[in-house]
Amino acid sequence: MSTHHISTLSTLLSVAGALLALTFLTVAVTWFNIPEPFNVIVAIAIAIVKAAAVAMFFMNLYWDDRFNTIVFLLSILFLVIFVGITLLDTLFRDAGLPVY
Amino acid sequence: MADNKAQTLKIREFPVEENPEHTYLNAEKGIWSWLFTVDHKRIGLLYLFSITLFFFVGGLLALLLRTELLTPAQSIIDADTYNQIFTLHGAIMIFLFIIPSIPAALGNFFLPMMIGAKDVAFPRLNLASWWIYIFGALFALYSIITGAVDTGWTFYTPYSTQTGTSVVSMTFAVFILGFSSILTGINFIVTLHKLRSPGLSWSRMPLFLWSLYATAIIQILATPILAITVLLLAMERILGIGIFDPTMGGDPVLYQHFFWFYSHPAVYIMIVPAFGIISELISTFSRKTIFGYWAIALSSLAIAFIGFLVWGHHMFVSGQSELSSVVFSFLTFFVGVPTGIKIFNWVATMYKGSIDLKTPMLYALSFLFLFTIGGLTGIMIGALSVNVHLHDTYYIVAHFHYVMMGGTVIALLGGLHYWWPKMTGRMYNELWGRITCGIIFVSFNMTFLPQFIMGSQGMPRRYFNYVDQFQGLHQFSTIGSYILGLGFMIMLVYLVWSLFYGPKASSNPWKARSLEWMASSPPAHHNFEYTPVILHGPYDHHQPIREFHMGVAKEADEQTTEAERETT
Amino acid sequence: MGNHSVATGKKSHLQHHFVDEDQQFESSKFGMWIFLVTEVLMFGGLFVAYIIYRSWHPDLFYMAAQELDVALGATNTVVLIGSSLTIALAIRAIQLDKIKAGINYLVATIGLAATFMIIKYFEYMDKFGKGIYPGSAYSYDGIGHDMAVNFFSIYYMMTGLHGIHVVIGIGLIGWMTIKAKKGLIHSGYYTPVENTGLFWHLVDIIWIFLFPLLYLID
Repeated sequence: MSTHHISTLSTLLSVAGALLALTFLTVAVTWFNIPEPFNVIVAIAIAIVKAAAVAMFFMNLYWDDRFNTIVFLLSILFLVIFVGITLLDTLFRDAGLPVY
Repeated sequence: MADNKAQTLKIREFPVEENPEHTYLNAEKGIWSWLFTVDHKRIGLLYLFSITLFFFVGGLLALLLRTELLTPAQSIIDADTYNQIFTLHGAIMIFLFIIPSIPAALGNFFLPMMIGAKDVAFPRLNLASWWIYIFGALFALYSIITGAVDTGWTFYTPYSTQTGTSVVSMTFAVFILGFSSILTGINFIVTLHKLRSPGLSWSRMPLFLWSLYATAIIQILATPILAITVLLLAMERILGIGIFDPTMGGDPVLYQHFFWFYSHPAVYIMIVPAFGIISELISTFSRKTIFGYWAIALSSLAIAFIGFLVWGHHMFVSGQSELSSVVFSFLTFFVGVPTGIKIFNWVATMYKGSIDLKTPMLYALSFLFLFTIGGLTGIMIGALSVNVHLHDTYYIVAHFHYVMMGGTVIALLGGLHYWWPKMTGRMYNELWGRITCGIIFVSFNMTFLPQFIMGSQGMPRRYFNYVDQFQGLHQFSTIGSYILGLGFMIMLVYLVWSLFYGPKASSNPWKARSLEWMASSPPAHHNFEYTPVILHGPYDHHQPIREFHMGVAKEADEQTTEAERETT
Repeated sequence: MGNHSVATGKKSHLQHHFVDEDQQFESSKFGMWIFLVTEVLMFGGLFVAYIIYRSWHPDLFYMAAQELDVALGATNTVVLIGSSLTIALAIRAIQLDKIKAGINYLVATIGLAATFMIIKYFEYMDKFGKGIYPGSAYSYDGIGHDMAVNFFSIYYMMTGLHGIHVVIGIGLIGWMTIKAKKGLIHSGYYTPVENTGLFWHLVDIIWIFLFPLLYLID
């Protein structure tokens, strides 16, 4: 199995174009005052789309050995574990246990 | 199978006379050929030498601590010195000895051999990892000279941001050592994925390699968090960034989350490779196929994963939320499941086997005994209610010494004796090996069993004096530690003696089945003079070794080789 | 061992323990991806600190982020995306044996990376001028929140660590330029420049997250 992928010029240019458009979008949405939780969600969603575009087409994960994608996603998974469980402490620091 | 096309070899144990003249030991000469070698076997020995050195340094510090504890009041060192010495004992044993111990020394040597590769995937990176390790060790030495550290190996804030000792240089040492660990991890994962010989499928991988694979995964996922933790700690001291410092609105408990997100998985970096060695030893010396191959292999990965979910059980009394304490305590019990699976499978492997009580097997049995105590007490102190009482007592100290020393170190010694003939080409003295194993087993229990009792009665850890009622147990423990030290000295003597005067070893003195024993003792410069095509499993003890064959992938048969590699 | 001589017939870079060039290429790239995992998790630690502190003090993040210049942040985002494009083009050119074009793209990437650092320098200097330092040297009183320094500590740690990576990236790309000039990389062997590209794209990805999280809080 060979993974020497050579991207076409049009792929690279259109991905870059999409990234620039999304950068504009992420700034533009701050001009409308989206209410509290959703502004963060929108900003992060756009960032995830951008990051996925870079990973898939610039870093060639789309054409590459699938295992490399799994490895990369693994890092995100463990980051989520780290954040999630730590928040379990920091968000409930003074709350006590519901049953008591 | 490739054997109908490629040439096959009959595998047998070849006697001493047939071992080749030219081995990796004499392939190149001079000190530089060792210090700048890219041969994984030599790098393994460099690591072995380094960790032995640091083990003895850390051990001497421990004996110093035990000596101080002979009397309830001050005996030989004052309280501040005591704090520094237990910190150094912990830091040296953890970062310089036990984390690199099995993977970087024995793993480096045998991982490529067990998969029939000529080397690890990135030999120069491998050498770099050793040099980075040495560099980190020098940094640690520098911090000892410039005032030592008295925070404990955990560097808890806020004390670590306030103490006058050289925390910054020590944290940089830890940062650098982490890099070394990551490079080893990367090397192992890539090597196992990409460099296995034709025919060596995942299901034919020796369990030692499965455990190294799980370890490497933990190394690459956890160690970066250690890097950022110590970096933030250093910045806290240098700039006062206030993330962990409560006087600036920071949160010291957050530091503990960061620290234990690395350091709890790190205890599995320390123990999982030991599980791998035990699997090899028990199968070989019971002359029996390992029981539950996939259960053992996958339980290593399960431990690696669950190990990331339980770090908060170190923090039950540090002020984290009650909710997370309950969750962490609950999740902690799950680690016991894959570990129990391993223990039961090992015992089942021995059942009706023809057990041969050679020194490595004695260590394996000691491991089963000691590690089970260590593991079960771990489950006990993972229980929230019990932990609140036993936290920071000698019970904890006894628990992790049973796991780390009774587990990892004992397994390392077992592995060292097992592979000694392969590494050096010489046999150690079997009688002295067994005697020493007995001495170490007994004196280890003398040292640490009383600590369980003291801990359960409330003796706190990290104190240089204590109330009179504990004196008897403390003295018993100290005497045990002296005998333990003596045991290691005896081992050093007979192992070094064997290098010069021991009888030469044949290629497979233990009649083991995995691939490293098919090479000569000591191995040739490139392990195998051909690319082996593996036709047998690593634990095929049901088949006499004279019926073993191995394919040889010749250069002319390259297409076959490649086709084989695709299918695996 | 097996030796697929490279299509271009140039000198083989095959190390003795690999069977063929493909195995070596795959191994290097796989190793690089694992290394990127460690990078993600190292930055991840800072993201965790960010998330915890933002969940504790949302008002602090809102107030402090007003001090950051969105225009400069957005410009830097565009600059980094541009550099990601140029290095991807450089790899493409080298894969097609257009070494000269490849070198030009690499140099352009260095130029964009340097632009990023220069803009970052002016941003930092502007902050320092106001007394916004990381840690206890902080002396700015324009933010009505007594934990303002904590936000900027996180800001400086994140952008600082990212900046260090940009500098390392410049070094690596410079090294690749020299290699390309010496004719050491070509369609038959472009592993180092491929891996440098992966590293550089990751630096871009991290900035893609830093930009909205630090600059665009409203």
